Amino acid sequence: MTQLTVSARPRPNPYLPIDSLDPEAELMLLHFGPQHPSTHGVFRMDLYLDGEIIVKAVPYVGYLHRAVEKLCEKLTYVQQTPIVDKNDYVAPMTNEQALVMVFEAMLKLEVPRRARWMRSLFAELQRIASHLLAIGTFSLDLGGALGGGSTAFIYCFRERELILDLFEDVTGSRFHYNTHTIGGNRHDLPVGWGAKVKAALELIESRMPEFAALTIENHLFQQRTKGVGVLEGALALELGITGANLRASGVDHDLRRDAPYSAYDEVKVKVATASGGDCYARSIVRVEEVKESIRLCRALLDGMPEGPINSGKPVKLPVQTKIPVGQTYVGIETPRGELGTWVIADGTQNPYRLKIRPPSLHALAALPYILPGQTVSDAVAILGSLDPIMGEVDR
Amino acid sequence: MRHFLDALKNVGTIAKSFVRPRVTVEFPKQLRPRAERYRASFALLHEADGDEACIGCLQCERICPSKVIAIKGPVKRDSPITGKKRSYADDFTLDLSACIFCELCVQVCPTDAIVMTREQEEPAYGRETLVLTMAKLYENEKSKTRAWGDGTKLMGMQVPPKPPAEAKPADAPKPVEAKPAEATKPVEAKTAATPPPEAPKPVEAMAAATPPPDAPKPVGAEPAGTANAPKPEVKADGPAGPNGGTS
Ligand code: SF4
Ligand code: SF4
Repeated sequence: MTQLTVSARPRPNPYLPIDSLDPEAELMLLHFGPQHPSTHGVFRMDLYLDGEIIVKAVPYVGYLHRAVEKLCEKLTYVQQTPIVDKNDYVAPMTNEQALVMVFEAMLKLEVPRRARWMRSLFAELQRIASHLLAIGTFSLDLGGALGGGSTAFIYCFRERELILDLFEDVTGSRFHYNTHTIGGNRHDLPVGWGAKVKAALELIESRMPEFAALTIENHLFQQRTKGVGVLEGALALELGITGANLRASGVDHDLRRDAPYSAYDEVKVKVATASGGDCYARSIVRVEEVKESIRLCRALLDGMPEGPINSGKPVKLPVQTKIPVGQTYVGIETPRGELGTWVIADGTQNPYRLKIRPPSLHALAALPYILPGQTVSDAVAILGSLDPIMGEVDR
Repeated sequence: MRHFLDALKNVGTIAKSFVRPRVTVEFPKQLRPRAERYRASFALLHEADGDEACIGCLQCERICPSKVIAIKGPVKRDSPITGKKRSYADDFTLDLSACIFCELCVQVCPTDAIVMTREQEEPAYGRETLVLTMAKLYENEKSKTRAWGDGTKLMGMQVPPKPPAEAKPADAPKPVEAKPAEATKPVEAKTAATPPPEAPKPVEAMAAATPPPDAPKPVGAEPAGTANAPKPEVKADGPAGPNGGTS
């Protein structure tokens, strides 16, 4: 918790009714979304505009609601892992991890060391993939600066594909892995996989300067992002914003270091922060985190211990796993921030209540505060820089 | 000037991509190699002697999160191959349109009867086409490449660290049918072969497993919810930590 930047700009009050801001009803109401290509899913905002300047922004979520939490109440514990894969569909690995970790905490189950290292390795690979996508789609949102826009997007996608291929080798699936299970992992690493990972990491690392040249080092990119959408650290903390968005606002907080889980107590994480709190700072933090994740992946691969990958009984019957009465909250650091799961168990094979705390929802909560005073074109940039995933917001 | 230099740099970056090998393939003509474990569709297998491997034990139907497997049975009848009485699935349907390819049904099968295949399923015009009937599933056995995983292998990978304590309960619910011996033996053999299981570490390494699971110390003003604690109060006002201000 360091250096909170406090800016002089008065904080807008998002709860002011529009009548008080605009007694003569002269503002234009622009419906942004829900099918807008830059809304990263289906997300709608009502933007009240004075010319091109946003006066008030009202976000609406829920277009992608799939009742995941209710579904988890109806399914047994072992059946839920493939379901939560679909929450944050850019980083499914960490979704599963968050879910099984809370069940393991409630069952007081110790996870074998190899499984913990594998989980961390998967999470870091997923972080690289997710941040590459975030950087790519963000440049797509910024649009057609030469070599910015869709070029960077396609390049990032190409490199992200390498990581999906790696996951495909381990789990057999490119996206909805279902590889975590209560007590460990389901799939062991195949022979020769480590070498593939190293080659992929090597390639991504060698391409990082190119991504940087196309995005954060490009002056057009900097002009579009510097000083745009400034999110103060204090406000970010109040809104519960976590992850790269929080760290870009100068708050040094990362659960991987502050409350180490899986293998992060043995492999130390260097947390990247930036102080600007603007779109540029958020991009910088993501680029730095990719570099740090590449380093972590190498360390995790080199130190990968041998041994069993599962401590519990392998899943056989869904009714076998019963969690004793109690409630627990566990949060982990996903690419987007703290993904928490809160479970109330009533001693049966289904949870009584399962609440998912998605980091993206909290990131969106910043919009009514940081959008007023910005232009419409910057609204697209700000939304993209927060990197929300609607599947996770609406669940 | 700066922008001009940036543009030149970008053109250089893009030019580099022209000389790199292509990463895309012309999809319908050329297929990317699929991983060995790739999961795309399903097949039901026959045993070595030509008998149906599925015993209709309903384990896969029970574990399926999307409830897309429907099995009639089990029925006891004489095997046409060996003449012995054993159980069969009378009918087996798997609705691929709602399957989430979680591989749990493959994992739980005690006789390795259901496996996944690696060919990506072709798109269909109607939902009915995606329903895999028993005949289609047995046909897939011949016409499609099998994925690596089956029940024995997937279970074998998850060797529990304490074999004596775990072996019994894991085996108990298995119906004493067909060939449970074959299904369990490799697991046990592997268990014995693995290096001695690590002694549980005295220091609980997983942060999650400790009762106050995740209150990040630097922020942690309020406990974000401990086991058996009263409901974690959700603070709507005031500067709450990243843990606190949940919706
Ligand atoms: S689990 Fe295997 S043996 Fe049992 S019904 Fe399903 S396919 Fe048949
Ligand atoms: S892979 Fe499909 S059929 Fe098998 S358990 Fe999962 S959802 Fe059901």
